[in-house]
Amino acid sequence: MYLLNFLVRRLFQGVIVLLIVTFAIFTLLRVVPGDPVRLIVGGMAPDEVVAQKAEELGLNDPIPVQFARYLGNILQGDLGNSFLRPKSGATVGAAAHDDPTRADRAEVLDLILERIPLTLQLAALAIVFALIISFPLGIAAGLNPGKWQDRLAFFAGSVFVSIPSFWLGVVLALLLSVQWGILPSIGYKGFEYTILPAFVLAIEMSPFIIRTLSVSIAQVMQEEFISVAPLRGLRRTRIVAAHAIRNASIPLLNLFGIQLGVLLGGVLVIELIFDYPGLGRLTINAVLQRDFPVIQGVAVFIAGLFVFINIAVDLAASFIDPRLEY
Amino acid sequence: MTDTAMKAQMPVPSQVGELRLSPTQRMLKEAWARTSFKAGFFVFIGLIAAALVFPEVSSIDPTKMNVRARFVPPLFFGEKWTWAHPFGTDHLGRDLLLRCLIGLRWSVLIGCASVIMMFVIGCGLGLYSGFKGNWTDTIIMRITDAQLSIPFIILAITILGVSRPTVPAIILVLGLSSWPLYARVARSVTLSEKGKEYIRAQRVLGASHWRILFLFLAPAILPPIAFVAVLDVARMMIFESILGFIGLGIQPPTPSFGSIIADGRKYLINAWWIATMPGALLLITLTSLNLMGAALEKARNDVLKGAA
Amino acid sequence: MAIDRRDFLKRSSMAAALAASGASLINAGFFASPAYAGSSKAINFLSAENLTGNWDPSSHTTLGQINFEGFVFGYLTRAPMRPENPDELVMELAESMELLDEHTLQFKLKKGVTFHNGEPFTAADVKATFEYASGPDRPAQWYPGRVTVDVIDDHTANVNTKAHGYPASLFWFLSAFLPIMSAKDVANPATLAERPNGTGAFKFVRQDGNTSVLEANPDFVLGAPKVPGVNFTFVGDATTRMLSLLSGEADIIERLEAEQVETIKSKEGFSLNKAVSVENKYLWFRCSKPPFNDYRLRRAVCHSIDRDIILEVLGVSGTPSNAWISPVKFGYVDTPNYPKYDPDMAQKFLADAGFPGGKGLPKLEYITSVGFYPKTKEYGEVITAMLQEQGFDIEFSAMEIAAWADRLYDRPGGGPGHMIDCGWATGSPEPDLVLRTHFHSSSKRICGIEDAELDAVLDKERNATDPAVRKKVIQEELMPMLAEKTPALSLFTSVFIHAYRDELKGMYIYPNGMMDAVNATNEA
Repeated sequence: MYLLNFLVRRLFQGVIVLLIVTFAIFTLLRVVPGDPVRLIVGGMAPDEVVAQKAEELGLNDPIPVQFARYLGNILQGDLGNSFLRPKSGATVGAAAHDDPTRADRAEVLDLILERIPLTLQLAALAIVFALIISFPLGIAAGLNPGKWQDRLAFFAGSVFVSIPSFWLGVVLALLLSVQWGILPSIGYKGFEYTILPAFVLAIEMSPFIIRTLSVSIAQVMQEEFISVAPLRGLRRTRIVAAHAIRNASIPLLNLFGIQLGVLLGGVLVIELIFDYPGLGRLTINAVLQRDFPVIQGVAVFIAGLFVFINIAVDLAASFIDPRLEY
Repeated sequence: MTDTAMKAQMPVPSQVGELRLSPTQRMLKEAWARTSFKAGFFVFIGLIAAALVFPEVSSIDPTKMNVRARFVPPLFFGEKWTWAHPFGTDHLGRDLLLRCLIGLRWSVLIGCASVIMMFVIGCGLGLYSGFKGNWTDTIIMRITDAQLSIPFIILAITILGVSRPTVPAIILVLGLSSWPLYARVARSVTLSEKGKEYIRAQRVLGASHWRILFLFLAPAILPPIAFVAVLDVARMMIFESILGFIGLGIQPPTPSFGSIIADGRKYLINAWWIATMPGALLLITLTSLNLMGAALEKARNDVLKGAA
Repeated sequence: MAIDRRDFLKRSSMAAALAASGASLINAGFFASPAYAGSSKAINFLSAENLTGNWDPSSHTTLGQINFEGFVFGYLTRAPMRPENPDELVMELAESMELLDEHTLQFKLKKGVTFHNGEPFTAADVKATFEYASGPDRPAQWYPGRVTVDVIDDHTANVNTKAHGYPASLFWFLSAFLPIMSAKDVANPATLAERPNGTGAFKFVRQDGNTSVLEANPDFVLGAPKVPGVNFTFVGDATTRMLSLLSGEADIIERLEAEQVETIKSKEGFSLNKAVSVENKYLWFRCSKPPFNDYRLRRAVCHSIDRDIILEVLGVSGTPSNAWISPVKFGYVDTPNYPKYDPDMAQKFLADAGFPGGKGLPKLEYITSVGFYPKTKEYGEVITAMLQEQGFDIEFSAMEIAAWADRLYDRPGGGPGHMIDCGWATGSPEPDLVLRTHFHSSSKRICGIEDAELDAVLDKERNATDPAVRKKVIQEELMPMLAEKTPALSLFTSVFIHAYRDELKGMYIYPNGMMDAVNATNEA
């Protein structure tokens, strides 16, 4: 019963948070300089056309009214239409104000949904790589506090966290894809194009996983049930596997919720560098093109995803360890 | 905030007769005993000193273009290298070492200023929230939750992308990114300190709320959050360079790590040093900061363990 | 590639003279072998500029899309502008063309040609295209003015300019630059915008994100292409384009920069194509709003800029020129009073305009694009520094290509910013495709200038029936006047550099960047 209670409460909180976020972004994009109508109708349109279009779009209404309308649309799954991208999918520029395609713009939701699978693929592979990098380092450090393994993990973590990911991406793309031709990485034509960007993201995430692993394993190892386990005739590896890692998994899960933000931030830049056609590149391009509906849609979408995943993480944590408070 | 200022205001712990160091001092002492902290500290100080002094004494102007002397490689590489340009020159013939050092200045300035800002906002709200309690507390903590659930970088890019990036705007945006963590720590420290003897004594003595907040509670927040702040400076420096890389950072002609790397990316095959040198310098700076931060964290854990 | 300009001009005027005298030009034969090489694969071309999303050729002036149209649409003629025979016209949809009198140019059309949607191509399509696209409201102002087309029979069309007051001979070279649309599409502009429907060598299949997928048109009038198709992809970053070529994902890329040329040269298996183009790069002033509505301030900027340095930065992708059109165009001249780098003159003009030393001037925004034209950001920074040296307060904005394109044109009250960087490349030797389009008050695309004296000279030049007289007006009246009023400063002429895999053979690249892939083979 309290599970349901928990879900309802967290979902309610999530909705409130989303409302605040949506309102903040909505207001922000309405008060910044740069006339959105001008963007919609294009450079060559006379002023009357601009004024007329603004009226048509309801951009002269007070912000709360506009916001209510926007929310209503979101509830119907309508995140608006891109200012700059036509339905055909190409980018646009320099078209005239009376151009029929100006009215035929791509749906923001479609743009997002088209790209999200590729970004999820990249993120998932990055997490796998990060775990592969972090597990040996983190576990060895946790089992041997104060020894060289610990120091190695400490130093590796400090260096990894210091590497500017975009710089690493640029250098690796040059070396691996161009100079040595080992791995293709620019653009996307198949799964292998995900490997290098995912690796760069993994390097960015791994320090946090290494640290969480080593700290929680070191802690668990000091607890009584582990130290008495050999007396019970259990082999050390089995103990570690059975207890320590299981116990470390909750902080890891929590970390995942927090790391999601880091991951998303990383994805933006990494996709740009590798010309990877995911959500990140869509976002950066939208920002550079001032395509407000797309920026807004992506931000709301990601905030929603973020809230949802964090609820899921808490839920999963409570299944692993029922002692956790809801 | 300097450490001496902290010490002056640090309340002497209630243990009578025992001359003991304040938690902050103990933590620093413990950290200093670690090689990683010392190494990080000296490297960082050295880099800052170079960034502050060298551009001032150098006769070269970091924004001066000399198109005919472009693509000079760094020392000992190729044939064209010269002592005048230890890091070489970029695609417009500007001295890379100077540009990197100026970039470092801005990067550290923005990193520190934004962390100070999040420290002030976060601790201020946390202190107030913990001190006041009731619905003030609830509202502030809900705002904190909301803030935590926005992937910050999207917000930052949005704000800077639609307005024009200036240094104060960048500091503001970065400063707004991570304050909730500070607020949470400040709040929990306040809640635990609030009930303690010395605070109650002050209340009885008729000290104002503000006086108690700033003179007694604020200093107690520093030990648990100091390492986070140091690590955050490094994190903000990376963000600053990311913003520069996508063109939303400090605008040219002022150099920043991100924009030098972004410009140099095009020349990576022919003139690898333009993008590599600033990347390496940034990496070294950040590593020194992260070593210090991580050492501080370990030191604090050890102090806590020792006290327990 | 060096072009003997004098020789070229001689031939150009000769061709026009020939045309004026009523001679006719018959198709020289440009037949492709219909053999379909089975081992060829589709050509992956990376475009440096985006498409607009509106397939109507008269709706835009975007070079990327003009290149796209080169594949899909048919033209009455094509102008290869080869150095050894620059005024050659190859007949495509036209069988022959003949100047009947001063105001009538007759096209005989080929029979049995169909559009990609199966509609037959007739004189009615020429009429519809010309009359629709020459309308004053069409964003692409390629036509010298309104025009009437008289349909004589299904395969004879007379271009008639009598009612519009300029000579029909202007359409001689223009015929190579005007994509022919279907009359049915023109009647319903919405379908025109929806999908491209031409008679060209390649059919549009679908849009895949940034890639336009084209397949070979076996019924192409000059023979079926040997490659199965072309994938036309927009990649807005020069480095990415080069990396894609090196890694084999692209077969041909455009707009290479000096360093990239070096890199490609150092690798096995790639070839380069370099050609002085019809494109000049300009610094456009927003002449329809302060402060650049004052010509003295524009001149001050022009005299502050040392173009030699810019060319140095540009390396192989630029070549010097001193006029508002490229040396490969009809009427080019080394303008004697072309504004030179002269700080004293700059200061004098600043003082005359009321801003001695730049004092009192507002902050001026200088907009450029990145990723499309070579080195725009680099030389933009150089220009910014040069202007700052003379006391101008410049804010330099280097923008993503689509955002830049949306800010490019003049609008009521003046375009965004105060100065903007842009080039102009048109696939015909016809100079009015630049001069009239930009400096006549009826079009004034980017700079927004409205100047009665300029209008008068431009009309005089257009209306001259004798090519020699026309050239003289351009060289001795128009160019010197532009040097005085400087609504824009031409910085240099672009050298177009394409790089491609050695396996890609037989591709012809026009001096405006358009490509002919009919005879190309592309082995895997």
